[in-house]
Amino acid sequence: MAAAFNDSELVSELSEEQQKLREGAIEFARTELCEEMIRRDRDEEFSREAWRKCAAFGVLGMPVSRQYGGMGLGIMDVIAVMEGLGYGAADQGLLFSINAHLWTTTLPISLYGSEEQRQRYLPSLSNGEWIGANAASEPDAGSDVFSMRTRAERKDDRYVLNGTKTFVTNAQVADLFVAYATLEPALGPMGITAFLVERDSPGVFVSKKLEKMGLRTSPMGEVIFDNCEVPVSNRLGREGRGVTVFESSMEWERGCILANSLGMMRKQLERSIRHAQSRKQFGKSIGKFQSVANRIVDMKVRLDTCRPLVYRIGWLKERGRDAMLEASVAKLYVAESLIANCQDAMQIFGGYGYMVEQQIERELRDAMGSTLYSGTSEIQRNIIAKSLGL
Amino acid sequence: MDNIREEIRQYILSQFLPGERSANLQDDTPLLTSGIVDSLGMLRMIGFIEQRFVIEVDAHDATVDNFERIQDIAVFIESKRATRK
Repeated sequence: MAAAFNDSELVSELSEEQQKLREGAIEFARTELCEEMIRRDRDEEFSREAWRKCAAFGVLGMPVSRQYGGMGLGIMDVIAVMEGLGYGAADQGLLFSINAHLWTTTLPISLYGSEEQRQRYLPSLSNGEWIGANAASEPDAGSDVFSMRTRAERKDDRYVLNGTKTFVTNAQVADLFVAYATLEPALGPMGITAFLVERDSPGVFVSKKLEKMGLRTSPMGEVIFDNCEVPVSNRLGREGRGVTVFESSMEWERGCILANSLGMMRKQLERSIRHAQSRKQFGKSIGKFQSVANRIVDMKVRLDTCRPLVYRIGWLKERGRDAMLEASVAKLYVAESLIANCQDAMQIFGGYGYMVEQQIERELRDAMGSTLYSGTSEIQRNIIAKSLGL
Repeated sequence: MDNIREEIRQYILSQFLPGERSANLQDDTPLLTSGIVDSLGMLRMIGFIEQRFVIEVDAHDATVDNFERIQDIAVFIESKRATRK
């Protein structure tokens, strides 16, 4: 189990530099990531233009070394920026796509890629030319992802991949997939290997588009590998070590994707307070009614208890420490708190909150996926229980 | 060899049996068939062993014969180190 966390050491208040990063991200997101949200959500439209703007702002290269065209930020800086984007942006779907791109494609290449792979892919992934996607889940291997059936067979200087992946975020717009396949099912997790598969490789087919309840501006689909040939030089990490790559991705994703949620929770809290102060019923502000005020109090308590959990992951990772347990604790609690806060916000806004125009119903729909993606709440509880020796 | 066993024991106690007394994890305590270490846990343990003892563990080496007990793991590590020399 990871060493006990010392609260007094946590940078719960961001450094001046990190505050500037967060404020800059808020301003950028307010200006650039809110356009035509209601229509684009209805039409499930991914904005390539907003993606490029994020690249120009530096978001897509945040954790990438400057040597490969990135910004070389530490994880605490990244979390601060993500919190700012979550606060300023209406397009939570785009942020979801960015998280998939960063933590399941860019970062694994940074951590486990060969020098050749880093030079070939990281600049394009950082400058917005290329979009990355994670091809791990399968129709019969969701939470039990390591029971995957996609096979990789070594043939001379190539691997041949066969199988179907589902719930692939960014599938339709991706240029590069980090795909997981087993070399030998009998080896269990030790047989799983990660591969870098370019979109235009022979045998790659993006098939069914998947329509979602929320995060609708983030494309999702199925990817089929049909005798897809991948050069040995595109294996990511060692044979049989795909699980290590995957788990590292999840640890980072769980921490950073939640930072967006913190921003969204803060924005909702502020909106709810303003609404409760200005909306009058029975001759007084609705915030003067205890049943409304208590909801806002609960939203505030959840936000304040979520925030240290997310920054704790960054604190541990910056010190090179394992954060699997802490990431699961944060993922479980923040995801469930986010949904609860969205529901409270809707109740405070009443009938207006249920209307599309207020954009609270979309935030609730966007939030509902958080207890499912990057490991369901049930899986997080399993991980936590196991870490406690249960 | 004793040092290797002790390091493995401390790793298993910290990662898979938090709060358990060291004396309760013997050299011949079954690890895999008892469920103390599952398949993902074994992968993590192999990562630790590779880094700590500077050896490479092939996927086909990850068998019950090599990893069922602390004493098996120590023998396996020694044999890998001998091969390296």
